[in-house]
Amino acid sequence: MSRVLLPLLILILVVMQGMAMNLLPPALIYSDLLFTPHWALVLIVLISMFYDRDDTYYSVLYGVIFGFLIDMIYTDILGVYMFTYGIVIYIIHGLKKMLHANFIVAVLLGALALILADFCLYMMYYTVQIVDVQLQEYVLIRLLPTTIANIIFFIVLYPFVKERMEMWSEQIGQP
Amino acid sequence: MIFRKKRLIMILISLIILVALVGLSLGDRGEKTMPEKFLHDTVGWTQNIFGKPVRFVNGAVDHFQELYDVHEQNQVLKSRLTENRNLLAENQRLKERNQELRSVIDKAETRSDYEPIHATVIARSSERWFQQMTINQGESDGIEQNMAVITGEGMVGKIQSVSEFHSTVKLLSGFDRSNRISSWVVKEGEDTENGFGLIEGFDEESERLLLKEIPFEDEVKKGETVISSGLGGVFPEELEIGVIDEVENDEYGLTQIAYVKPSANLYNINHVIVVNRSMETVESENGESEEEGS
Repeated sequence: MSRVLLPLLILILVVMQGMAMNLLPPALIYSDLLFTPHWALVLIVLISMFYDRDDTYYSVLYGVIFGFLIDMIYTDILGVYMFTYGIVIYIIHGLKKMLHANFIVAVLLGALALILADFCLYMMYYTVQIVDVQLQEYVLIRLLPTTIANIIFFIVLYPFVKERMEMWSEQIGQP
Repeated sequence: MIFRKKRLIMILISLIILVALVGLSLGDRGEKTMPEKFLHDTVGWTQNIFGKPVRFVNGAVDHFQELYDVHEQNQVLKSRLTENRNLLAENQRLKERNQELRSVIDKAETRSDYEPIHATVIARSSERWFQQMTINQGESDGIEQNMAVITGEGMVGKIQSVSEFHSTVKLLSGFDRSNRISSWVVKEGEDTENGFGLIEGFDEESERLLLKEIPFEDEVKKGETVISSGLGGVFPEELEIGVIDEVENDEYGLTQIAYVKPSANLYNINHVIVVNRSMETVESENGESEEEGS
């Protein structure tokens, strides 16, 4: 059940990301601040925290697959999101083993994932000269608003999925 | 120790894959590969399914807001109606005469003729650094790479890539040196020749297009309209691009640069028209996505 439902849920979020840019009020989205939705990443971080056990790596797999999907649909350059999401989720997966997962820790890990991911994207796009924004400007107009907006999404999503994922997590490996 | 090594190798392999993929996709690939087209269509359909109800609600809200000023609008429109009727008659007459004259000199097609293909925008790139969006018409509807995309207000971009049933549009705000548009500056109410220039990129800070290579003798002024000239060989003639906002000399003082404000709103786009030029289009030799060969 969860094997089908979770990827489907991520897919829906990926699709919604694209539609959000078109349907939410333009004044909100196209202000000077560059809000970028990372909803799929938020959900995958939650999966890595509550669904994955220490020895399973479903979330990393999801990160790679859906990162690649985002690369393909929304950008010209393949591999950037795929690599970023994969490596960030892997780091989160490693950190979660060491920390006891309560709400505060979860939010902090979520914020860390978002900052790491977005900064990683910036570095790579800067290297291949897709963007020519300077670091300081980037932090102000994109990194901060994006992190805050996505953390809000994280906090909203948290109570809905936590229990359910922990329940599904116990079913992993059972026929 | 064994685990460490395994991890290191994994990271190295993924780095190699990353560099290979980025390198592969950085160059202009022209056509998409089959699996890419397939994935693009699949996601497009999903977006369509989820988009329909959301768009419906969105539309309903808009309609409701519009109801308030319907009466006022009605008054204004009524007074314009008679005016327009006269214009229509005149337009009809001119068109007929134009056609007649054309048939006399045996020249049926012009650069300004095109077939419109209507499409709805279903998604926009969530990565703000990529100025592109997806529309719900593709190869099977006659869309090809590099066609111009307009809205009622003016030009918004061009087709970047096509799959079977969906295609990706590159917006004007994402244009750079390799996507030039050959254009004319329309001089108001005179018989003088139109000014010539090339749209070569977008100034992100001021959100204006750069119209470069205007000959120094040409007097272009603020407020004049910029249209496509059709001389690049791909876009048709007379698509409105924008209005000149500011003119200055270029760095060498040999030509002028004009900053052009796009006529169309590039942020709030729901329906677009893809323009299929009727006259034969010129394929650029090197396969690069340029309207104007360099």
